[in-house]
Amino acid sequence: MRDSRRARLILGALLAVALIVLTVDHRTGDSSPLRPLRAAGAYVLGTAETFGGGVLRPVGGFLHAIVTAPSAQDRIEALKAENAKLRSGLVADKLNADRAKELKQLLGLSGTGGYKVVPGNVVARRGQPGFEDAVQIDLGTADGVRPEMTVLNGDGLVGRVLQATSRTSTVVLISDPASATGARLEGGKEIGVVHGVGEYGRLVQFRLLDSTAPLSRGGRIVSFGSQHGRPYVPGVPIGVIERVESTPGELTRIAYARPFADLTALDVVGVVVEAPKRDPRDAVLPAKEGAR
Amino acid sequence: MIGGVFVLLALLVQVMFVNRLPLPAGGSPDLVLLTVIGVALTRGAGPGAVLGFCAGLLVDVMPPSAHLVGQYAFVLALVGYVAGRGAGGPATTVVLCVLIAPLLAAAVGGLISDPRVSMSTLTQQVPVTIVYTVLVSPIVIWLTTRGRQARFST
Repeated sequence: MRDSRRARLILGALLAVALIVLTVDHRTGDSSPLRPLRAAGAYVLGTAETFGGGVLRPVGGFLHAIVTAPSAQDRIEALKAENAKLRSGLVADKLNADRAKELKQLLGLSGTGGYKVVPGNVVARRGQPGFEDAVQIDLGTADGVRPEMTVLNGDGLVGRVLQATSRTSTVVLISDPASATGARLEGGKEIGVVHGVGEYGRLVQFRLLDSTAPLSRGGRIVSFGSQHGRPYVPGVPIGVIERVESTPGELTRIAYARPFADLTALDVVGVVVEAPKRDPRDAVLPAKEGAR
Repeated sequence: MIGGVFVLLALLVQVMFVNRLPLPAGGSPDLVLLTVIGVALTRGAGPGAVLGFCAGLLVDVMPPSAHLVGQYAFVLALVGYVAGRGAGGPATTVVLCVLIAPLLAAAVGGLISDPRVSMSTLTQQVPVTIVYTVLVSPIVIWLTTRGRQARFST
């Protein structure tokens, strides 16, 4: 009995402390007194994650291969078919025309858009415990990374840097429900906002600000860019619209888009340390399916 | 002390490895929660609450994190206490704790109007997490009932 009373006392005290810490952190925001604690934790544990990442990478790759084995089989078939096609194309000397285009794509998104990108690896990921969608990358202030920089991979926009220590930094993905990205429909000038909806990054929500503008399945979205390119640089491909929700009488229209970047299996990403001089507009979007 | 080391290891494995596996239906088991429950089961309510609190602080500080410090300290302190008190056998205790932890976390998130906590979180994300965690929990139940002195003794 005595012991249980003591335990209850301990619990009460701990819960009170937790609530106080939570309130202080919530109310003070960016100037939070807990920031040094967070920075120290990020430095120590982030370094541990970087070192551990090298050890765990092969294991992770192996398990990833097992988990994705069924789809990998299809992929192998598709690649075989593609390989055969390419081989025949090579023999028939038909590739010459396409070649310049392919090589240009190989140079990557960064070359096309004129972004200056530092490449890095994902070393850790949040999801559990917590509700946020964030990853830790092995790039830090020593590599020129600062908070509020754009993060992308070869396919499209990934997220933005939330905080950076000397060796690692935290990236909030565009699929995080608390993130909002300015976006623009391909071709037109119609702008909107991309919100994360959780769902582990399979879909993001696109809210078009003009309710009368045409919005259809297959439409593609690029980033709109922020002031001075922070946190988002302009012209990065975000995703392709999968379904449009009918919202009669509302001021905005809502669509759900599939991100170009596979946010569920991120590995190599790049941080844009220098925005392009001019907005690349739609030049960075991948070639339309079937229009090769 | 040894419990703390287990929590740290579980957290590192969680963020570096488990969360990055693209499991079906998204989501992943919460190993940190299971470790806290397991240690608390063998150590009692008071130490369970203290360990839960420390584990929660670690969860809040562990990069990558984008939520407020204190959220998981609150949740895991309560879970550690409940697991230490026990509710019926070890199996029912573990399942009960696995059920209440994400709901508590969502409730605390709702209290501070976290934009990440909404109805769709409760209907889509939380059930997947609970199912995966319950699937892994037999290991914890087995470890705590088999060698009470063997694994988590200090």
